[in-house]
Amino acid sequence: MKRTHLATAAAITAAVLTLGACSNGGPGGGAADSDGGSVSYTDTPEPGGTVRVLQNADFSYLDPARGFDGGVNNFYRLVYRTLTTPAPGNSDDPSAIVPDLATDLGTPSEDGLSWTFTLREGVRFEDGTPITSADVKFGVSRAWDPEIGIGSPYARQVIDAPEGYEGPYRSGPLDTIETPDERTIVFHLREPYPEFGSVVAQNSFVPFPEGTGAGDEFINDIIASGPYRLDSYTPGSEIQLVRNEEWDPETDEVRAAYPDRWEFVIGLDPATIDERLLAGQGADANAISLTIQPATLPRVQTPQLQDRLQRMEGICQTYMGLNTTREPFDDVRVRQAINYAVDRAAVQNASGGTQFADISTTILPATVAGYREYDLYPSEGHRGDPEAARALLEEAGYGDGFEMTLDIRSQPKMRAQAEAIQQSLEPLGIDIELNVIDVSSYYETIGTPALQHDAAITGWCPDWASSASTFLPPLFDGRGITEVGNPNLAQLNDENINARIDEIRAMTDLDAANEQWGLLDEEIMELAPIVPLAVESGITLPGENITGIYANPGSASGGIDFVLVGLRDPERG
Amino acid sequence: MTVLPTELEVVEQSAPPATAGGAPGARPLRALTRDPGALLAGGYILLIVLMALFAPLIVRLSGWGPYEFDQQAIDPDLAGVPLGGWGGAGSDHWFGVEPGSGRDIFARIVYGARVSMLIALSATALTTLLGVVLGMLAGYLGGRVDWVISRVMDFLMAFPALIFMIAILSALPASNRSVALVVVISLFGWPYLARVVRGQTMSLAQREFVEAARASGASAATVVFREILPNLRSTIIVLTTLAIPGYIGTEAGLSFLGIGVVPPTPSWGQMIASSVNWYTVVPSYFAIPGAFLFLLVLSFTVLGDRLRAVLDPGGARR
Repeated sequence: MKRTHLATAAAITAAVLTLGACSNGGPGGGAADSDGGSVSYTDTPEPGGTVRVLQNADFSYLDPARGFDGGVNNFYRLVYRTLTTPAPGNSDDPSAIVPDLATDLGTPSEDGLSWTFTLREGVRFEDGTPITSADVKFGVSRAWDPEIGIGSPYARQVIDAPEGYEGPYRSGPLDTIETPDERTIVFHLREPYPEFGSVVAQNSFVPFPEGTGAGDEFINDIIASGPYRLDSYTPGSEIQLVRNEEWDPETDEVRAAYPDRWEFVIGLDPATIDERLLAGQGADANAISLTIQPATLPRVQTPQLQDRLQRMEGICQTYMGLNTTREPFDDVRVRQAINYAVDRAAVQNASGGTQFADISTTILPATVAGYREYDLYPSEGHRGDPEAARALLEEAGYGDGFEMTLDIRSQPKMRAQAEAIQQSLEPLGIDIELNVIDVSSYYETIGTPALQHDAAITGWCPDWASSASTFLPPLFDGRGITEVGNPNLAQLNDENINARIDEIRAMTDLDAANEQWGLLDEEIMELAPIVPLAVESGITLPGENITGIYANPGSASGGIDFVLVGLRDPERG
Repeated sequence: MTVLPTELEVVEQSAPPATAGGAPGARPLRALTRDPGALLAGGYILLIVLMALFAPLIVRLSGWGPYEFDQQAIDPDLAGVPLGGWGGAGSDHWFGVEPGSGRDIFARIVYGARVSMLIALSATALTTLLGVVLGMLAGYLGGRVDWVISRVMDFLMAFPALIFMIAILSALPASNRSVALVVVISLFGWPYLARVVRGQTMSLAQREFVEAARASGASAATVVFREILPNLRSTIIVLTTLAIPGYIGTEAGLSFLGIGVVPPTPSWGQMIASSVNWYTVVPSYFAIPGAFLFLLVLSFTVLGDRLRAVLDPGGARR
């Protein structure tokens, strides 16, 4: 955390400063703080009215078995419920997972191979039919359908299923999920998975009435189980949600659901969104957006506007993966040298400066449980230490430098980050060629070991923030390297690391496991397979009439937790 | 890169018998030097050409290279906005610095001129070569050759060129983008010249002096290159000069869309693209590359227009 940089900020940024500092408090920080005389977003909203969300991109899919990204997960919480779910952003530990449809976080059997959940009473779909354990079972089994189950992979990975099972529409019911009665559901797992209580919070566990959702049925219309149902949907342009009268607030401890309607306005240019929020005219006083553009920040330095700013602590790590299978990155000293040499302060500026990014020296972001602060490759002001780097390079026999290719996405911010890295390695004689790849094929290219080059810049977000188990293993478990869709960009395959991952994953005491993940973080960084660059945050400028703004690392990837947002005055706008 | 002298040289020599009506060879040049618009345009083009040629020397004089980051010139707490008014302009950075990185805008303008000129002139040279050769072949030989070349031209001209360029350039690997840009721009550019050349060749081929040459036993190549080509000079010069601003604009446009030259190579189009978000905060970041690009395109257009007026008085009547 860059407190020192923040301290030098002029008094006019005081509001942001307060918020930035309060989010240093530990995992899951970022909730609004009302001191300092700024606008308070912790006031309880009045029920009613319409909240607008202005955004650039459409949601990936309305079907929860298909969609799997930070943006859509947050939206799903408005219309769907799962057995468990990330805690609301205003709770003591927003990283935690709490019961939702289920009464608790599940009970494992003695051998850890089967998990039993009990459903609450009074939970209903939008048409009024009660949600039963059979509906949950049916919803989960859709994850095996080769065309539909393209979202969260956890159900398929963790739950046992017959060989060749292809979802309910092709292969019938999934026998490894038992429903002894209407309110009890028992999952049988392939192997013990102590964090199964977090797995059932994934989107793929949304219940649906048996037999629905075949083919493209849920592409444009859905069956809601949450506080809102779909009123209208125009792909790429607008989504209207209205209150689901069948949802009973008594059964839900997570969703406050203050407004009567939600209106998602999609396809707006980011600069246009900022202009509208700055102006705050008419119904835009009831509007929110994910984050303002860095270029807008200097414009919001008037007292009124800057009071409305709210920093949302990021949970995703932006890093540069070094391909350990290619020369010269097969030499640990070269990788360490790069870690020493990269000017992280320049990368931070390229990412939007101190307000939009925190410099990272660890793999885990501070908002993910298990985070432990350390810096193995320190330098003054994080500006890079070329001397230490040169010494290591000379030892490795690359004193004169080398040429390398860095894969980047054709996107201005990533280009700026890459240019900052390029510039900081140039004095060492390291000549970086930027390979700019189109946005649509970027992840496909770098996730294919045969196509990736020496290094690539990318980011990683945890699938649940209550543990590092969805962060470190996918990125560094050597046995998980695949020919396509490979997340282990460094292609690190280290026996000790693999063994440690197995050891920690089997731990049933989740707190102790988190502590071990934090230690493993540093053990991995000793091998320097990646260069952690920055944790990028958002700064949101909610409309004047909006309150109930809390960050949620679990459901919203650190963005605004939709389920707590509401209006101060529902009559306005 | 010495575009201007060569052009003027050619202008000087070209006294097309068909149109100039027996005027002395130096007349067009003299007419141009008396035209303040053409002089200003030529002067600006010369300035940019010199800037492009001597970029490393100029940058050494101004003190900052086009790739050097200056973290001291920007405010990290305000999203990297340049410190000081006018986008951080002053004795240190003459035109200010780029937000977010602190790179010197003057140095990037100077180096950006290289990219603009190199790509536009190479593309012009390639289109001229293709356009003249294919146009003359089609016009002189006629028949099946004409049919094939004309259909290819129709096809390329009817094609949504910009969309296709975007598609090709995003699919190509990023290495050697400049060459790819030149090839792609030329591929869609040559038919516009070729069509005019074809028409003129067809009419020239019927003229008495061509028939006389043919009757006295000259080969097809001699007729084409010795008799017809010299009479096409003024057309080619005018069309070429008018094409350059189009190619400069196309290169800037493609760079603006993020498929131009590979970063960190500076390019005016890229600079304009990245300045769009900052226009309210740092207007000079937007205005400077925009002004340079605008003036260059305008200069070439004015020069081309004046050249046409001088070389082809009939065509200038509007």
